[in-house]
Amino acid sequence: MADTPQVPEVNAPSRPQPHEKYPWPAEPTLVGKRIQRVDGPIKVTGQAKYSYDINRPGGLHGRILRSPHPHARIVAIDLSAASKAPGVKAVMAVLQPGAKVMFQGEEVAALAAATEEQADDALRLIKVQYEVLPHIATEALALREGAPQVFKDGNIKAGDTEEAGDLEAGFKAAAHTVLAGYATQVQTHVSLETHGCVCEWDGDKLTSWVSTQAVHGTREQFAKALDIPQANVRVITEYMGGGFGSKFGPDAQGIICAKLAKQAGAAVKLLLDRKDEHLASGNRPSSASKIKAGVSADGMLTAFDAETWGTGGAGAGSGFPLPYIYVFPNRRRKHRDIFTNAGPQRAMRAPGHPQGCFHTEMLMDELADKLRMDPLAFRIKNLPPEAPNAMWRKYFPIAAERFGWSKRHVTGDPTPGPIKRGMGCAANRWGGGGQGTKAHCEINPDGSVVMRCGTQDLGVGTKTIVAIITAETLGIPMELVRAEIGDSNYPFSGGSGGSTTAPGVSPAIRVTSGMALDALKAKVAPGLGVDAATLVASNGRIHVKGDPSKGLAWRDACKQLGMEPLAVDGQWERGLSASGTSGVQFAEVEVDIETGVSKVTRVTCVQDCGLIVDQLTAESQCIGGIIGGVNYALFEDRILDRVTGHMVNPNMEWYRIAGPSDIPTIDITLMNQPERGVIGIGEPPTISTAAAVANAVANAIGARIRSIPITPEKVITALAEREKTGGTL
Amino acid sequence: MKAFAYVNAANQQEALAALSTATRGRRLPLAGGTDLLGLMKDYVAEPDVLVNVKNLPAGIAVPAQGLAVIGAAATLTDVADHAALAKTYPALTDAARGVGTPQIRNVGTVGGNLMQRPRCWYFRNEEFHCLKKGGARCFAVEGENQYHAIFGDGPCHIVHPSSLAPPLIAYNARIKVAGPQGEREIEAGTFFLMPDRNMFGETVLEPTELVTEVVIPTPRNVSAATYEVKFKQSHDWSIVTASVALRMSGGGGGVVESARVVLGAVAPVPWRSLPAEQMLKGKRVDEAVAWQAAEAALADARPMSGNGYKVQVAKTALRRAIMKATGAKVV
Ligand SMILES: Cc1cc2nc3c(=O)[nH]c(=O)nc-3n(C[C@H](O)[C@H](O)[C@H](O)COP(=O)(O)OP(=O)(O)OC[C@H]3O[C@@H](n4cnc5c(N)ncnc54)[C@H](O)[C@@H]3O)c2cc1C
Ligand code: SF4
Repeated sequence: MADTPQVPEVNAPSRPQPHEKYPWPAEPTLVGKRIQRVDGPIKVTGQAKYSYDINRPGGLHGRILRSPHPHARIVAIDLSAASKAPGVKAVMAVLQPGAKVMFQGEEVAALAAATEEQADDALRLIKVQYEVLPHIATEALALREGAPQVFKDGNIKAGDTEEAGDLEAGFKAAAHTVLAGYATQVQTHVSLETHGCVCEWDGDKLTSWVSTQAVHGTREQFAKALDIPQANVRVITEYMGGGFGSKFGPDAQGIICAKLAKQAGAAVKLLLDRKDEHLASGNRPSSASKIKAGVSADGMLTAFDAETWGTGGAGAGSGFPLPYIYVFPNRRRKHRDIFTNAGPQRAMRAPGHPQGCFHTEMLMDELADKLRMDPLAFRIKNLPPEAPNAMWRKYFPIAAERFGWSKRHVTGDPTPGPIKRGMGCAANRWGGGGQGTKAHCEINPDGSVVMRCGTQDLGVGTKTIVAIITAETLGIPMELVRAEIGDSNYPFSGGSGGSTTAPGVSPAIRVTSGMALDALKAKVAPGLGVDAATLVASNGRIHVKGDPSKGLAWRDACKQLGMEPLAVDGQWERGLSASGTSGVQFAEVEVDIETGVSKVTRVTCVQDCGLIVDQLTAESQCIGGIIGGVNYALFEDRILDRVTGHMVNPNMEWYRIAGPSDIPTIDITLMNQPERGVIGIGEPPTISTAAAVANAVANAIGARIRSIPITPEKVITALAEREKTGGTL
Repeated sequence: MKAFAYVNAANQQEALAALSTATRGRRLPLAGGTDLLGLMKDYVAEPDVLVNVKNLPAGIAVPAQGLAVIGAAATLTDVADHAALAKTYPALTDAARGVGTPQIRNVGTVGGNLMQRPRCWYFRNEEFHCLKKGGARCFAVEGENQYHAIFGDGPCHIVHPSSLAPPLIAYNARIKVAGPQGEREIEAGTFFLMPDRNMFGETVLEPTELVTEVVIPTPRNVSAATYEVKFKQSHDWSIVTASVALRMSGGGGGVVESARVVLGAVAPVPWRSLPAEQMLKGKRVDEAVAWQAAEAALADARPMSGNGYKVQVAKTALRRAIMKATGAKVV
């Protein structure tokens, strides 16, 4: 038996010592309430300026020529015709003769012209001579005997074998075994705002409006790549249309944009088009498995033996956690990364977890079917012990009740007619801790407050929670607070990845506004003739604790600052945030077995994230995550032509994304854990949707589709197969 | 997108005059632009001149007696929302309602819908120089063909994308066309051409000609319906569409005197199925007859490597269209 925990994060001690000076309020007035985004109105009325909306005087449009070949050597690049084309102000080769391109869409050359159309036209005048090399389009082709070895160290990189317990004994103890394989597709991020930036030079100072998840990280990378001091670079991201893990620096296009701007002596806007975006800005790797698993007659998992593989594209990994959450005491897992000539992967919303969850949760249902046991009861039996970051035992029954799990039929909807309904469920876990954020707060003599922090809002509501926490701490209405974020000239905050932003930023804001309040209290205490320590701020007043009449209105208190605003700097401190979330999701689907079309009708989500800062924005993360999960389950698929290796659907037409009518009814229950402090919620809600949906489809139609997306083609093929063999689940 | 000149024709005459010297692909009519602009941005179409044809007839008339007339410049929304059309030609208005998204329907026109180019992903991506673009091969044959044709045997395996064409053919509509030689009327069923007859276009229309109107006979004793199968509920192309028009015999009793059956998204042209029509003739329609008609319609299907499932989808679409035409409730 294994004595090391299967998943190190699970059951980690996660209850922080509360912060001594500025603990979260026991009875908050704003924190945890349903508060609208502060920038909602200007976003929906089009006034918010995203990078794409930045137009500089005399600005040009940059475009990148990308390799049409998935694998080739550059022989020659001729820029002369393009440089003479109408409107063109700068042209550059990105790669030099002799260099290799490893995927379709890799950057080869670039230019800037007065209009976007001129830039696009001129791009086609750049003449590149390629020596086309053999390529590998798919995992299957890479694994084929005699496949061309296109990567330096081979097409396949074997990873470590993870092992625990005694596998042989585990299988001996099994009353039933399941042998099955599962697979997930490559999914691209499809941020609505594509990657890119606007660059403008003033001498050797660069200002760049970048669509990025890391204003500070992007500044560093610009400085390094362009060999200028970090102090000379300013990165601005006031509003952003999503990144999902794919936007952590200037990227090739940012550096190209800066160089074109320098060459042209004018500002250049370079944002990718949708095709570039699908090809070259990252993706979630595919995953595939062959698993043998055993379960005892009384429904305890005994053994798990898996071979897994996946492709993260050209030279990039494809790892994912497996098995996921449930306790397999005896287990072995071998993983191989398969390299293909396709755009490399990048972190994508809960990297690896949706894959690990899918493989494991599909398997759980198959094992439960073997046992003829309710899959929910079976799951609960095999969960790790309960802990603050491992609350599934509690959440599963809550969600089951809300969802109506008791109405679930055994596998295969017996209702006559072509529409079959089914239910499925799955669990998730995530880290979501953060730190290392600084902030600057100014209280002005007129009572207005500025809170400045160099974090960024990916569209999730960061600016709103900065305003909420500041207003909560100062006891004033949010309208008095101006939250300023998204600028590398503001105090440092880290990149927004791994659901670290809320737990990184919230404590810094709490501490900084707490310090500002202390300073103000010290200023007004003598006038009130009390000790500053007796003062509190609430309801727009600073007053003696327990005696609101003995005090001052906020504005009157601020007037005492005279001419000089009060300014303090603070930073993240321990005791206000934590790490480790858990959640569960249930899905209901309707499958038309005569057309193969599946529709997700309902999703129920029970999720925690420590202390909830804003109920609305937290729910919004769940909604977005679930919609993303539905897309992953049914629609999204990066399809590469098996012959040429070109992506055939680099658009939003055949790369399907749910529209409003494809989105299920979503029921969200957030479990508040105020004692733990703030934890991120960006990633966990997207993890288990696809697994729950796929389980629901199997429950509906009585045939298991072991790979996503669940297309009509797969449903019809699976049903025809079942008809042929006469088998059921 | 390649730079082009624009002729803002005020009416049909001016448009025809501007197109009188047109050669294939060089001078093109521009209606709503929902199709053409995308092709131009993707460098699949590179015209020198665009001629505005939004000022062509745009009215819709549905007289109690005689022919219904729809102007080429009528939008898909005009068609979808037209109460009298919906009453007499539900198979057409249903199809119009299913097109793309509200934005596409508000801008896309009837003429443009019939003349739109295929959605084949090899055709639409610049880097594939396929047969239809003058190249040497059809990439779909050995490649990704899950949405391609199950009828027609190539050499190009597109499916015709128009949602309006199947019901128009089922209603036996005619397409009015004007050109330098004057006007002509073409049966909707012969308007579209297979790739062996026209590789670089999908219809009989000459580059100098324009679609001006669609005329539809009054359906007497006709029960018609369209049934589309889409993966997404909106903003998606049909996997298969079926339109049927059943002319019921005068004596009542629900016997089919004659039928017109057209499948969409299964072949390079809207695919009229004579075997299904034959099967329905003289029958009293019920589920079993609808099944037989669907089996008959797909008996000759020749799926490619990756689209065999479309045979099943097409059978379902047709069966449901037939039952819907009889007034039965279908899912
Ligand atoms: C996202 C999306 C989804 C869609 N979904 C569907 C769908 O489900 N079903 C469907 O049927 N269609 C669909 N379409 C296509 C849409 O219906 C057509 O693009 C539209 O009807 C074309 O009309 P238009 O006026 O915009 O044509 P344009 O783009 O202006 O023209 C299209 C073509 O027709 C030619 N043309 C235009 N008018 C005439 C004329 N009077 N005479 C001769 N030639 C002419 C043009 O030269 C051009 O080649 C979709 C399109 C998009 C972008
Ligand atoms: S189906 Fe037609 S358009 Fe598509 S690749 Fe083949 S030849 Fe080209």
